Amino acid sequence: MSRILRTSVLVVFGVIWLLPVYLLIVNAAKSPLTFTSTESWVPTDFSLLGNIAEALQLSGLGDSVLSTLIYALVSPAVAVLVGAAAGFAIVALRLKHGFAWFVVIFGGTVFPLQMVLLPLFDGYSRVGLFDTQLGMILVYTAISIPFSAFVMRNFFTGVAHNVFEAAVLDGATTWRIFARLYLPMASSALVAIFILQATFVWNDLLLGLTLSQSDNVRPIVTTLAGMQSTYGGAQLSTVLAAGVLVSLPTVVLFLLTQKFFARGLALGQY
Amino acid sequence: MASRGSQYQWSARGFIAPGVILVAVLLYLPLLWTTFLSFTEYNGLGDPDWIGFGNFAEMFEDPGFIVSLLNTLLWVVGTLLIPVGIGLALALLTWNLPGGVWLRVPFLIPYALSGIGVGLIWSFILSSNGALDQALGAFGIADTPRWLVDAPLNTVVMIIAAAWQGVGVNALLFTIGLNSIPKEPLEAARVDGATGGRLFTSILWPMLRPLTAVVVGLSIVASLKTFDIVLGMTKGGPGGASETLALTMYKETFVNSDYGLGSAIAVFLTIVTMIAAVLYLRQQLSKKHEF
Repeated sequence: MSRILRTSVLVVFGVIWLLPVYLLIVNAAKSPLTFTSTESWVPTDFSLLGNIAEALQLSGLGDSVLSTLIYALVSPAVAVLVGAAAGFAIVALRLKHGFAWFVVIFGGTVFPLQMVLLPLFDGYSRVGLFDTQLGMILVYTAISIPFSAFVMRNFFTGVAHNVFEAAVLDGATTWRIFARLYLPMASSALVAIFILQATFVWNDLLLGLTLSQSDNVRPIVTTLAGMQSTYGGAQLSTVLAAGVLVSLPTVVLFLLTQKFFARGLALGQY
Repeated sequence: MASRGSQYQWSARGFIAPGVILVAVLLYLPLLWTTFLSFTEYNGLGDPDWIGFGNFAEMFEDPGFIVSLLNTLLWVVGTLLIPVGIGLALALLTWNLPGGVWLRVPFLIPYALSGIGVGLIWSFILSSNGALDQALGAFGIADTPRWLVDAPLNTVVMIIAAAWQGVGVNALLFTIGLNSIPKEPLEAARVDGATGGRLFTSILWPMLRPLTAVVVGLSIVASLKTFDIVLGMTKGGPGGASETLALTMYKETFVNSDYGLGSAIAVFLTIVTMIAAVLYLRQQLSKKHEF
């Protein structure tokens, strides 16, 4: 197919693909006064920021913004380090039965989340972790580790082992070799995993629904799900504005890092 | 080498320990507990009563569960056909196209949205007299179906919403696959006059097969776990008509407090996921030896 034809097909489909996003923004920007559910396609005014402010107050959304930010930053960061440490142990330090240990860690990603929900809910209630930020951070970290270990093991396999041996000859400790040599070398892969996992944590519904209750612990997406069933009618524009607020960080992050991210993923293939 | 490696064993254990401990305590222990609970009658109070396969028998006698099972099957088929197919088409269209990276952006935006965000937008579009009905009305089509109420139409429109979200990442994965194809066979094929469909069937498709296995495998596993979009758009309703296994499991456990039955559904879901993943990957990986 010719270039022009391909480009036109892509542009037409791209525009169609963005129609739902257009509808979201246009209607999230209507003030409750001008909002009518019968004129969805026509923009009226631009009160998006006012609606977002309203949404932040309406149902505890504001309370959950900060904790969600903590979850989406801390858990993937810890998971990336823990996964890198595991990959380092297996590949560079040549841990005995390293592959078996890798399978143990990676196996954690194979099962549906549904298998761990109830015991976590039950166990968390018993040890006082239910409805706490620490509890949420722990579970998000554990869930992010297998994928991180997978990519990092693959990445370190591509590093020549004499890099490690040379560092040993220089008298470096294993910790130092890990922190000063292997981690910096892997920075692009680390960031790629971090972005993916941060997006996952930010967008999580199920764990938030199961393991939290209070406005300040509950993740933002879970709060949004609650809002959707509570409010309607004229307040629909407020709910849609909340949807924009919740979606904005991941969309911006994703678009900014699109090229880099594809590269990081491609690295992870080997 | 072996002796030099072995002197780091203690250090290596220290490095791998945090990962193993976190995964074991927060993922494997719960996994075992759910498996145990699936053989018991338990409502969270007192002790679980061992009832063997009772929950599993109850599951298959429940018409609601069968509906949920069929819906999940529909999700698997739909998610395979639509997003994987369109994703591949997009990757091929943007491949080696100047500005292709930018032309892919509209398709990647929905991928970064949460399932609830997608559900929110599409509920707005599909509600009665919503944006879609208004658009159709402008073309003189007034008699529209009740998109989110009539089954199985509601599941079909939700699959389309999920496809809207998932196409971009499939396109991205296929693009990575296309870019990793060695240049020589491509040049050779072009010199021989292979273009378009011929180039695709004889060179690109076979070369993409390992990646297709990954994409298809990921899609099956993800579609079996469908939860967010359904909760956001229909809550599984009306009357459970659009429930998926993941949603039924959630309801039995956390709404009806039937922990044993909920666990049994989770175990069933896991077994199906495992079988699908193993069967598909085995078949695909054995084909790989053909070239």
